[in-house]
Amino acid sequence: MELVLNRADYLQVGVTSQKTMKLLPASKHKATQKVVIGDHDGVVMCFGMKKGEAVAVFKTLPGQKIARLELGGVLNAPQERIFIAAGSEIRGFTKRGKQFLSFETNLTESIKAMHISGSDLFLSASYIYNHYCDCKDQHYYLCGDKINDVICLPVERLPRIVPILACQDRMLRVLQGSDVMHEVEISGPPTVLALHNGNGGDSGEDFLFGTSDGKLGLIQVTTPKPILKWQIQNEKKRGGILCIDSFDIVGDGVKDLLVGRDDGMVAVYSFDNAKEPVLRFDQMLSESVTSIQGGCVGKDGYDEIVVSTYSGWVTGLTTEPIHKESGPGEELKINQEMQNKISSLRSELEHLQYKVLQERENYQQYSQSSKAKSVVPSFSINDKFTLNKDDASYTLILEVQTAIDNVLIQSDVPIDLLDVDKNSAVVSFSSCDSESNDNFLLATYRCQANTTRLELKIRSIEGQYGTLQAYVTPRIQPKTCQVRQYHIKPLSLHQRTHSIDHDRPMNTLMLTGQFSFAEVHSWVVFCLPEVPEKPPVKCVTFYFQNTFLDTQLESTYRKGEGVFKSDNISTISILKDVLSKEATKRKINLNITYEINEVSVKHTLKLIHPKLEYQLLLAKKVQLIDALKELQVHEGNTDFLIPEYRSILEEADHLQEEYKKQPAHLERLYGMITDLFIDKFKFKGTNVKSKVPLLLEILDSYDQNALIAFFDAA
Amino acid sequence: MLLPVFTLKLRHKISPRMVAIGRYDGTHPCLAAATQAGKVFIHNPHTRSQHVSTSRVCQSPLESDVSLLNINQAVSCLTAGVLNPELGYDALLVGTQTNLLAYDVHNNSDLFYREVADGANAIVLGTLGDISSPLAIIGGNCALQGFDHEGNDLFWTVTGDNVRSLALSDFDGDGKKELLVGSEDFDIRVFKEDEIVTEMTETEIITSLCSMCGSRFGYALSNGTVGVYDKTTRYWRIKSKNHAMSIHAFDLNSDGVHELITGWSNGKVDARNDRTGEVIFKDNFSSAIAGVVEGDYRMDGHIQLICCSVDGEIRGYLPGPAEMRGNLMDTSVDQDLIRELSQKKQNLLIELRNYEENTKAELSGPLNETDGQRGIIPANTKLHTVLSVNLGNETQAAHAELCISTSNDTIIRAVLIFAEGIFAGESHVVHPSVHNLSSSIRIPITPPKDVPVDLHLKIFVGYRSSTQFHVFELTRQLPRFSMYALTSPDSASEPLSYVNFTIAERPQRVAMWLNQNFLLPEDTNIQNAPFQVCFTSLRNSGHLYIKIKLNGEITLNTDDIDLAGDIIQSMASSFAIEDLQVEADFPTYFEELRKVLIKVDEYHSVHQKLSADMADNSNLIRSLLVRAEDARLMRDMRTMKNRYMELYDLNKDLLNGYKIRCNNHTELLGNLKVVNQAIQRAGHLRVGKPKNQVITACRDAIRSNNINTLFRIMKVGTASS
Repeated sequence: MELVLNRADYLQVGVTSQKTMKLLPASKHKATQKVVIGDHDGVVMCFGMKKGEAVAVFKTLPGQKIARLELGGVLNAPQERIFIAAGSEIRGFTKRGKQFLSFETNLTESIKAMHISGSDLFLSASYIYNHYCDCKDQHYYLCGDKINDVICLPVERLPRIVPILACQDRMLRVLQGSDVMHEVEISGPPTVLALHNGNGGDSGEDFLFGTSDGKLGLIQVTTPKPILKWQIQNEKKRGGILCIDSFDIVGDGVKDLLVGRDDGMVAVYSFDNAKEPVLRFDQMLSESVTSIQGGCVGKDGYDEIVVSTYSGWVTGLTTEPIHKESGPGEELKINQEMQNKISSLRSELEHLQYKVLQERENYQQYSQSSKAKSVVPSFSINDKFTLNKDDASYTLILEVQTAIDNVLIQSDVPIDLLDVDKNSAVVSFSSCDSESNDNFLLATYRCQANTTRLELKIRSIEGQYGTLQAYVTPRIQPKTCQVRQYHIKPLSLHQRTHSIDHDRPMNTLMLTGQFSFAEVHSWVVFCLPEVPEKPPVKCVTFYFQNTFLDTQLESTYRKGEGVFKSDNISTISILKDVLSKEATKRKINLNITYEINEVSVKHTLKLIHPKLEYQLLLAKKVQLIDALKELQVHEGNTDFLIPEYRSILEEADHLQEEYKKQPAHLERLYGMITDLFIDKFKFKGTNVKSKVPLLLEILDSYDQNALIAFFDAA
Repeated sequence: MLLPVFTLKLRHKISPRMVAIGRYDGTHPCLAAATQAGKVFIHNPHTRSQHVSTSRVCQSPLESDVSLLNINQAVSCLTAGVLNPELGYDALLVGTQTNLLAYDVHNNSDLFYREVADGANAIVLGTLGDISSPLAIIGGNCALQGFDHEGNDLFWTVTGDNVRSLALSDFDGDGKKELLVGSEDFDIRVFKEDEIVTEMTETEIITSLCSMCGSRFGYALSNGTVGVYDKTTRYWRIKSKNHAMSIHAFDLNSDGVHELITGWSNGKVDARNDRTGEVIFKDNFSSAIAGVVEGDYRMDGHIQLICCSVDGEIRGYLPGPAEMRGNLMDTSVDQDLIRELSQKKQNLLIELRNYEENTKAELSGPLNETDGQRGIIPANTKLHTVLSVNLGNETQAAHAELCISTSNDTIIRAVLIFAEGIFAGESHVVHPSVHNLSSSIRIPITPPKDVPVDLHLKIFVGYRSSTQFHVFELTRQLPRFSMYALTSPDSASEPLSYVNFTIAERPQRVAMWLNQNFLLPEDTNIQNAPFQVCFTSLRNSGHLYIKIKLNGEITLNTDDIDLAGDIIQSMASSFAIEDLQVEADFPTYFEELRKVLIKVDEYHSVHQKLSADMADNSNLIRSLLVRAEDARLMRDMRTMKNRYMELYDLNKDLLNGYKIRCNNHTELLGNLKVVNQAIQRAGHLRVGKPKNQVITACRDAIRSNNINTLFRIMKVGTASS
């Protein structure tokens, strides 16, 4: 059976954060449910739909930005008490809007995530996790990296309390009291957690996670060890997951998985007999989906998926058909409802327009005075700057609550800006004539009407570091723009991992000197992505992997000492250059010693070899495709071709796609081999720049042994 | 939601823009398209193949209902239609860089095969003006040629640059068709037979044109713009980051008016309202669109819109029935309207809140550091912009300069200039480094062509520490001749070339025109007639003198014939002059042209000689081959070997000869282009009737190969002295 869902927009509130919309349980069977939503203006709004119009049940006054909204109540009873987290405070409302709780947690950071279960309250700020029972502090945990979400397995079904933290360093941490019981490493930074089926599944031990790189998985927390039961990869390169819910929208008696992503995708997964999820439905909305829940809001008897989006739209994807077959009268009525809605909106707009005109005039008058000030409207930008593991490039996502007019991208480091198919914006590269202005890239994106989200792809070069700035101008009056800055770090293509291969030949860089732990940590933060800004305890070891070459880096440091080990000589060379530069800038006397392992160069070349060979072969094959196709047209069949060519023809589409996916891959590999060559000899104190043309010649007629021989001989 | 009524997947690639539908047997519509390897395929799904195997047509080995036509040269344009009304069926026309073939598919015979020296970049078929028989009009390098069904050359004229697109449309509503020509110099020209009626300047190369209802026509540019003109006014245009591959007019929503259907390079097809540009329908293909055509492909009496992708996917759409009321997309119109209104409401609320903030800020006392960070600036901040000419220095070439400054201590963080045609992209950005921030900024501008340009400026104003900036939006016009600096007259440098003409305007009006079209220093004071002004070009430091006598006689002295033409055209349009005859002499330019004309003759004779040589050689080959084979039969292996050696050498000679012929041909093409351009330039110096007379007379002179007459015409405007 095919699932057909129709979209119905209900209401727009202010900008919303992740997980800030819920449906209140229905008061009686088969009735419609009320929606409660909290936004960045601090307003909590509860509304229901009556005859296609949103009718407010209650609405609070504006306050601090609402980070989370959850429902709670007495265990095993309808969960209809509303809890919100704003700043460091938790507030509770009844379903009628009466405030019954105001709890100041005294946390130094504002609350980022919340989970409620009976009288247990689980909170997390950036790095801190706190467990309260009846507003009394119970447990506490300080995490090494940012906490993105927190849940607790159902307390009523399990003998003990099992909170789970989703941490930015690709770890799920299962706690017991104030201690970590298990750590589960997953492939992407987790952004959201949810109980499987809403109740922890059959055993009450199952929970779901979603990652910022779009992966989804189920984990069962059994006592000896958590088990990953399944995981869905993100092959179509969809956005990161922001919200998950379980609801039987298909109507087969099994709860389906509802997923909302930050590229606007809403997806429904059903479970097959093997309890593996299967994609049943997806629809694209134009902006991030911040919350999702299944229920019934628009019309009783018709189930729907209710979502809230970044700019505050509450939208239903309903099973109710748009065009009724019951007769012409019915449709007329729907139309009438629509018309009413439009006319009321129109009159509201007219009123507003009049008011704005008046204010504008006032402002004109008063701006004549020399003391007057002119304020620009503040607007919020939802941005994400992440490294993609698959093609070693960065993705910058900018999302604004209103339509974007244009975006100026400026960079003081050489980077490549790649085209993204999803974008409709017209890009124009401007010349960066004068070097004195530190511009290496100036590009404007002029957006088409109604674009609220822009995605850019950026390719960086390791060793070249600086800042990328985005000036975002939305279509609001008076015109204003906001700058966002993103750091391109010296080792920009490295990614945190939790384990490395210790058997590889390693080069070592040793730092000693009069520096504090905080200082050395700040250098590491400066050089490498995905390192928490807050310095952890006294001594720390981080592992990294180069996403492009798969070489690795181990960094261990404490007060007065730092050790960096990598099998790639270029990585060490970059670190050496950056660290000595930074230390000189801060006038710290650093002792840098290094140990170069000659074998490591050969090892790195061997790591590169399969990638290079694959790319060369691919380029060769793609070159042949057109000629072979012409032959095919000419001769009518392919029997006369050798099997190798026949297979190229068969895979033509696939090959071309593969080739298109990784533009300039070969050039990047060549660049890295050249760097490796220069760096190898730099440590020996010889400058081999003059030999680079020779190296490129060898690369042009690539042969692994010849290359290694060249490296040895030079 | 409109769905395709049929979808086909052919296993042949389709070359972009080279798709046509014709009834080659008089009844069955068949799709013809150029494909790889210099072939044209004809898809005929109606009659199950009767196997024909002759020289040109052969059955496609891949599909049974596709036949292939060998052209053996890259196809550069293709169309189909009625060329000979007596035949009762359509002809297929295929153009290449050197030839035009009119082909009778039904009888598998050539109607004609003509050599076209200027190449065929675009083709259109139909009746033009008062010429009674249908013409196949091809556009080549600066030239337009029209052939009737016998291959007679009934129409020939020149245009400003290489032709890229053609269309026939009743532009002025007189019931006769005019020819629209889009060329590489960004101009759309309208020809009423061989007379240019109007010109419209666009911002990029015009890649497609199509006639719509009445005097309306659609166009597409190579930078991703599509739009619709009604006569000379543009209704709308949109720009996409993709390229429009093909445009077509078709009434998709059955409202009696054609919509503009565009096939894009990313595989998208959209239909836009001809008045507003609003999208009423869209669909996606998996690869770029090659062509959009129409025809009754199912033979059921209904015309379908047929879209083809480069990978050979073909979809046909029937127009939406009237009940759909033009609602061809599956989103509800009302829903979208509500969304739009709601968005408007949000924007107004934001603006309103901002005014509240303003009043709050006023109460909070004088401007301080944190205010600056939030982007608060004094309300009376104003921006001044000045356009001037900068003569440059050792490090920087001379340029026009835009100077922007704020009226107080606020700084300019960045300037975005959106303007078409003068930068590499559509925008230019100036973003000073943090150390160089100040309250004024100088931006050098060097427009490559003499065209008036609107500069749309977006200026980010704030303080050093600001994270949010005010955006000031201004529009300044860059005058047409901004790359010319006023200098003091110096008789020694006065160019010998001149143009002389008389206009009935007061000198004050000419002075006003000067002010509008040049960047004059503010204190320039032009006295009464007679006066003279002198300019120096910032591009090549050539001089330009404009002298006016009391009786309204104007003399332009410049060696740049294009500049002289531009000035005359600009004056003519601002003084509303309809006809203007001039006397001109450009000794250096004419001398070069004379050399080129001599060269053209040389290349022609070389071409003939080479062709004769080739014919000789092919006779030789024949005899050598016969003798070699004879020797083989006689078992005289040594002679045979020798003959084959000779044959091999001859083959090498032929190859070399071919290369020479190729070079000769490109040289010839280049020179012919220069000649065509010269005629165009001579016309450009005049306005109205004299302009057309000059072009016609020049053409006649070239036809009769009378070089001296040609120069006389260029000088005085007529052949008779």
